[in-house]
Amino acid sequence: MSSNATAAPARSTLSLHKLGVFCGLAAAVWLGSAEAPTKLVNEGFSPFLISMGMVMGAFVARWTVPTLLKGTRFLYRDLRDKPHLIVWALLGGMLWAVANTLTIFAVRNVGLAIAFPLWNTNSLVGLLWGCILFKELRGSRTRDWVKVLGGAAAIVFGAAVLAIATAQQHAGAPGRAAIGIIAALGAGVLLGTMYIPYRKAYISGMNPLSFVTIFTFGELGTILTLGWIFYGGAGNLVAELHRARPMLFWPFLGGFCWVIGDLFQQYAAKYLGIGRGIPLSNTNQLWGLAWGALVFSEMAGLSFSGKVLIIAGSLIMIAGAVSISMAAPPPSELDNWRLAMSRECDRYGLDSKNVAAVVQGDDPLADDPHYRRWWELLIMLTACAIFVWLAIGTRAQHISVSLPWMIVLMVGTLIPLLVCGTLLWRRTRFS
Amino acid sequence: MKRSALFCILTDIHLWVPVVVLILGTALLMTLR
Repeated sequence: MSSNATAAPARSTLSLHKLGVFCGLAAAVWLGSAEAPTKLVNEGFSPFLISMGMVMGAFVARWTVPTLLKGTRFLYRDLRDKPHLIVWALLGGMLWAVANTLTIFAVRNVGLAIAFPLWNTNSLVGLLWGCILFKELRGSRTRDWVKVLGGAAAIVFGAAVLAIATAQQHAGAPGRAAIGIIAALGAGVLLGTMYIPYRKAYISGMNPLSFVTIFTFGELGTILTLGWIFYGGAGNLVAELHRARPMLFWPFLGGFCWVIGDLFQQYAAKYLGIGRGIPLSNTNQLWGLAWGALVFSEMAGLSFSGKVLIIAGSLIMIAGAVSISMAAPPPSELDNWRLAMSRECDRYGLDSKNVAAVVQGDDPLADDPHYRRWWELLIMLTACAIFVWLAIGTRAQHISVSLPWMIVLMVGTLIPLLVCGTLLWRRTRFS
Repeated sequence: MKRSALFCILTDIHLWVPVVVLILGTALLMTLR
């Protein structure tokens, strides 16, 4: 929590605030880039089915990446020490699944231009919960309040400008605008509330990698239940997935990228708090826009005023991100963060010394050698086999892409992964 | 899990805020579909 935390020997001394900012920005890059594979689906499948494919890909990734980075023994020990947090991890996954389905209804009824800014208010909802329930921003100076609130508002406003500028057409169904607006606002509230489980887990000393391995069960279970209801039974759902088999590789790949972005977002929520971390990672729209405009030529017919709006919206978003990045919590606010942590330790009988170390990124277990188990290899091989199997059966999608720009953006996506991954490892050992 | 831990979970405001939002969100989704 402290921005000048004393680092353990052989660890980087990077401040946790800076680390959190890097994680938030890397999250934005990967969450935005996760949209790219789904753009390769052009055969008229329902958005819900594409979303379900992404969740399935995310399920695979949420087991593979933590196993690769920390090993199952570490994850098991972490979950065993804080079993009560399993409830919140499942709850977080369920909130995400319902919210994501609501966004589909919102886009169908009012179009992306109106729906996106409305559900992007989730960062403001998260900020509110962070302040009320976890004492974030409490004890902070007026200028920090202005930087964080102003930055978050600027990111939401920038998102609105970008959404309006990039709307190719009004996709709304006549007479159903109210339904779409309610769905988008509902999604915003659900997504903003989803950050309560995130923050609770991290001030209790849970590792983000352990959290996501449970989160994904809530996510997958809920989306499958919703699919079962929407398609009128398991048989219809399976038939629909079978029909979508030739395109499933792309949403799976998107889900995998999305998990990497989400993991960075989890670390941002841990080291910055949800009030600062979530608005930063919500700048992902910039990267989704870059993929759409540069690789898929989606802005080819855009008017001059549209281009001006895109530049203005992007600059507003960047200004918001810079503002939040410069609002490191002062000691008086960090005292309140510690109070929120103490509440969890007292309530659930956690070892406060140990939790404080983990919250500072110095997990005592992180430097323990972790021995690989045979089932970890099995998990990796299964994940690889699923992707290879899906790739083999994938039908070619006839969409023109700009290969040079694709290479540039892929390199631009990999650099934050390597840089931020290295920073996380050197400073916290992924704790 | 010990009963006291279960009691702590069930009386935690951090549980009921997301649960209530989830119930309302699910009800909204079922109404809109």
